[in-house]
Amino acid sequence: MNSEEVKIGVYICHCGGNISDKVDVEKVAEDAGNLPDVTVSRTYTFMCADPGQELIVEDIEKHGLNRIVVASCSPSLHETTFRSAVVRGGLNQFLYEHVNIREQVSWVHASTGEATAKATTLVRAAIARVRHHEPLSLIRVGATSRALVLGGGVAGLRAALDLAVYGLPVTIVEKSSRLGGQVAEFGTVFPTGESGAELVRTLVRDVSALEEITVLTGARVTGATGYVGNFTVMVEQERGDGSTEDLEIPAGAVIVATGSRPYEPDMGEFGFGQFPEVVTLPDFIQILNETRADGDLTVNGKMIRRAAFIHCVGSRQIEGIQKPKPGRPLNENCSRICCTATLKAESDLIEKFPGVFVYDLYRDIRTYGRNHEEIYERASRDGVSFLCYEPATPPVVTMAAPDDTGNLLITVKDNLTAGMEIEVAVDLVVLAVGMEPADVGPLAESLKLPAGADGFLQEVHPKLRPVEMAVAGVVLAGTCQSPRDIEESCASASAAAVKVAGLLTRGHVDLEPYVARVNADRCEGTGICLSQCEYDGALKIVESVIDGRAIRKAVVNEALCTGCGACVAVCPTRAIDINGWTLDQFEAMVDAMCADPVEVASD
Amino acid sequence: MNRAASTETVDTLVIGGGIAGLQTALDLADLGLQVAIVEKEPSIGGKMIGLSKVFPTLDCASCITTPKMAATAHHENIRILTLAEVESVTRHDEDFSVRVTLQPRYVDEDLCIGCRLCEYACDADVADEFEGGLSAHRAIYIPFTNAIPQLAILDPMECNLCGQCAVACPTDAVVFDQKPREIEITARSVVVATGFETTPMGAKEEYRGNEIVNVISPLTMERLLAPHGPYGRVLRPADGKVPDSVAFVQCAGSRDRSLGVPYCSRVCCMYAIKQAMLLSGALPFADITIYYMDIRAFGKGYETFFQNASAMGIEFVKGKVARIDEAGDRNVEVRFEHIDELGQVEERTHDLVVLSLGMLPAADLRDRMPISVSSDGFVTVPKPTIEPCRTNEPGIFVAGTAAGPKDIVDAIAEAGAAAMAVSGYLKKREPAGDAVCAVSAGMEIR
Repeated sequence: MNSEEVKIGVYICHCGGNISDKVDVEKVAEDAGNLPDVTVSRTYTFMCADPGQELIVEDIEKHGLNRIVVASCSPSLHETTFRSAVVRGGLNQFLYEHVNIREQVSWVHASTGEATAKATTLVRAAIARVRHHEPLSLIRVGATSRALVLGGGVAGLRAALDLAVYGLPVTIVEKSSRLGGQVAEFGTVFPTGESGAELVRTLVRDVSALEEITVLTGARVTGATGYVGNFTVMVEQERGDGSTEDLEIPAGAVIVATGSRPYEPDMGEFGFGQFPEVVTLPDFIQILNETRADGDLTVNGKMIRRAAFIHCVGSRQIEGIQKPKPGRPLNENCSRICCTATLKAESDLIEKFPGVFVYDLYRDIRTYGRNHEEIYERASRDGVSFLCYEPATPPVVTMAAPDDTGNLLITVKDNLTAGMEIEVAVDLVVLAVGMEPADVGPLAESLKLPAGADGFLQEVHPKLRPVEMAVAGVVLAGTCQSPRDIEESCASASAAAVKVAGLLTRGHVDLEPYVARVNADRCEGTGICLSQCEYDGALKIVESVIDGRAIRKAVVNEALCTGCGACVAVCPTRAIDINGWTLDQFEAMVDAMCADPVEVASD
Repeated sequence: MNRAASTETVDTLVIGGGIAGLQTALDLADLGLQVAIVEKEPSIGGKMIGLSKVFPTLDCASCITTPKMAATAHHENIRILTLAEVESVTRHDEDFSVRVTLQPRYVDEDLCIGCRLCEYACDADVADEFEGGLSAHRAIYIPFTNAIPQLAILDPMECNLCGQCAVACPTDAVVFDQKPREIEITARSVVVATGFETTPMGAKEEYRGNEIVNVISPLTMERLLAPHGPYGRVLRPADGKVPDSVAFVQCAGSRDRSLGVPYCSRVCCMYAIKQAMLLSGALPFADITIYYMDIRAFGKGYETFFQNASAMGIEFVKGKVARIDEAGDRNVEVRFEHIDELGQVEERTHDLVVLSLGMLPAADLRDRMPISVSSDGFVTVPKPTIEPCRTNEPGIFVAGTAAGPKDIVDAIAEAGAAAMAVSGYLKKREPAGDAVCAVSAGMEIR
C-alpha cells in the first residue's frame, strides 16, 4: 500500500426494514465508527436508492474518503451499483468492499442479538480487508465482430436477422438440413391463424437477402473455447458427398437458440404405444393438415367420430404421481403453449369435420396470452365438452367393449360434475404433450453453460436478466430457456440480440480484474500452479536465460484466467495472489473477526 | 424551469418510465443512442417500485428495481423528464414531433437538493396514494424513499399556503406560481411503454370494492406486505385488526365480459399466490384462501411456486365468486359456487378480502399518435408472432403492458426486443458507411 492516509467510509443499509427489523443497524454503524481510520459511519433506509448513493459521493468529496464499505444485500444485486457511486465520487471502483448482511444475516437469524453481532463482525472484517485494496483496472480485450447463432428455428432466425440488420456479421449453425425448426410443421399458428410455414418462409427470405448472415445447415457444434468477445466455435458440417468438413468460427458472442422437443410419452402413458388410436398433439396436427376436408377423418384406417384431448401430458408432473424417465427429472413446469394449441386444434378439427364430437380433459385452462381467451371461447362455442381432472386422479385410457360407440374408453373423475366418475367412449385420444429442452450438445459442456433442475438453460436472473447467462457473452433465445410461444420466442430472441449488439458494438469488452498475478521475485518456477490450473492457456511457465542461468517463472494470461485461486493454494513460495483477493486480505479479515469477538446482546 | 430544451432531437423518445420503459431506454443507450424518457408521474419506477416482493424469486421489488432506476438516471445517453405528459406525436418527414406538457412541481428542479426540510416544515397531511392511502405524507413531499429524481413536489390542492416550506428551504427552490409548460421534442423514433392501470375497485358492482373498507386492492396488499409499508406489518384498514382469515378473489376484473374485459390479465394468479405465501410468513396462524377459476401458473418456475403454496396450506377453492357483502365486526362475506363440493353455493366470512384486479391500458393513445389501438385499448401489433414490438406506424414501437397484460420478466424481454427493433429501424434509415466498426480479434491488455 502507498503512504496515502487511509480514510474509510462505512454505510449500513436498512433495506427499508429487510435488514433493520432484525439487525440493530445503528449499533453496527457505531461499532464501525470507533475503528481506526473509519472517517464516516452511517446508516440509511435504502443505500441503493439515489440519495443513498449520493451520500457516498458527497462523503468522498467532503471527507476525502479513499475506501468505501457498504453493508447491505447480496453483492450480486448491488456491488456494481455502489462501485459506480464510488466512481462518481472520483475513486477507483475497486476501492470498494461489499458486505452481505441481508441474505447472510437478517434473513437467516431469528435473534436480533445474534444478527447484530454477526453483522458487526462481518463489517469489521470488511474494514480490515478494504485497507488492503488497491486501485485495479478492468482488463480490456478486443472483441470479434461476429455473432454465432446456434439453432435455425424462429428464435435463431429472428436473432440473426436483428443483428444483421444492425450491421453485425452472423453465422447460423443449424443441425438439420433446413431452417425453420418446428414452426414450419405447425400448420396454422395461434393467435393469428397465420401459416407456420409461411412465417418461416418470410424469415428465411429476409435472412437470405442479407449478406451479413452465413448459414450452415447440416452442421453441428463439436466444441468451443474462449471467452466473451473471443470465442472459437468448432463446427462439423456435412457435405453433399457424405463427408464432413471441420470449421472453426470466431465469434464475439454466442446466441443459443437450440429450442425444445415435444415430450415423448412413456409406453402405456394414457395408452400411448399401446393403442394405435392414441397420438400426440403434433402428430394429430399433421394428420389433420394432411386430410382432405371432403372426406372422413381417419386415423390408422379407422374413422373418427369422437375424439378426446388430454392436457398436461408430460407437464406439471408431480412427484409420487408421475414417474420420472431414466436420466431426466420430472417435468414439473407448465409447458405454456399446449392449452391454447390444444383448444385451437379442437376447433380446427370441428371446423374441418363438423360431425366429430370433442372432449377436452384438462386441469386448468391456461389461455393466458393476448387473444388466447378467444380461442378457448371459440372451442366452447364449437361444442367441445370439458371435463376437469385432478392431478391425483388422471384419466385412464382402456380398450372399449366391442359394442361401445368407440374403440377406446376413457374413465375420469370430473370436477365439473361433482367429482363423479365419467366414462367416455372415443375413437381417438390426442395427448397434449409438453415441451422438453432439446439437446444443446457439446457447446454446453465446452462453455460450462448452466441448466436448471428442469434441464432448460438457466438465465442470470429469472426476473431481471432473462436472456443473459452466467457465462458472459452467451445469451438465450426461445424455448431452450423455457417453454414459450412464437411471439415470446421472438421477443426473447430480439432481447438476446440487443444484448449482443450492445456487447459487440464497441469493438472491445472489459473483464473484471480479479485474476491471478505472479510475484516474480518469489516465483521459483516449480510449475505446481500449472498442474492445478483448469483453464487452458491461463497459466504458463516461461523460461529465459539471465546471466547465463535458465530462469523459470509462471506467467498469467489475464483474459483466460478466471481467478479461481487453485494456483494460489498450491504455490510453495506464496508467489501467486488473486488481484483484490490477496492472502494478506484474508488474513486481515480472519484477524479482525477473531481478535476481539463481538458480544451477543440478549434479545 | 425544466431542464428540457424545447428544440431537442433524440434518437428515441420512450413514453413511460416503468420497468419496460427503463429497460428499453437502457438497451438503446448501451448502443450509443440518445434517449429521452417521458414519465407522467413525479418519479420513474412505475408499478414495480411499489411492489413488496416479486414472484417466483421473492426478490424484494425495491431492491431489484432501484438498480435499474439508478442506472437509467446515471446513464450519459438517457435523459428523464418527470411530470411530463405526451400531448401529441406527429410525423414530420422521417422524424416525429412530440409535444410534451410539463406539469408544475412547484419546486425548481435545478435548485431542489432533496433535503426534505420543506417536508418537515409542512403541517398539512395528505393521504399517501403510493401507500394505498393507508398513511399520509405532507402537502410538499418527496414521492417515496427511493424515488428518482429525489425532488420535492407540492400538492397545490392540499397546501394551506402557510409558506413554512419556502422558509425552511435552504436553496429557495419552492415556486408557488409555477405554471404548466409545453415543450417540443424531435424524435427519430418512439417507444410506447405507457403500462397499465388495475381494473377500478368499483368495476364489478357485486364485489363492492369501493364500499367495503376491508375489501382491498392487490396493490394495497403489496404495500401492507412491504417491510417499509404503511404499518410495517399486515393490519386490515377498517379497524387495525390483525386478520386471521384472508381471501383472494381471482379474475376480479379479468375474463369477465360483463366488465368488458374478456382477456386474462396473466399476472393475477401469480401475484395472489405470492401474496398468500408472504402472508403466511407474516401471519403464520391466519387461514388463507384463494377463490379461482383456473390457476394460470405458466411461466418458468411458476408451477413449482404454485405447488409449494399448496403444500404450505394455502387453500385453493375452485369457484367463481358471485358477490361480496359486509358481515358483522367489519368482516367480509364471500358468496361462491363451490365446484369441488357438488357445485353448492356457499358463503364464507373472512377478515380481509383482496380483489385480484386485472390490467387495463393506462393511456388512451388513440387521438395522440398515428398508431392503431385495439378495441380493448391496448396498442395493436399487426404481426405479433415474429415482430412483437412493431406497431402499424413505421418508427413507433411498443413495449411492456401497453401492448397487453404481461408480467415483469415478459415485459423486460419485450423491452429488449423493442430496443432491438428500434435500433434496426434507425440503422436502415442511415446511409451506408455508418455501420458498426469491425474489430478483429486480438488482445490489448491494459
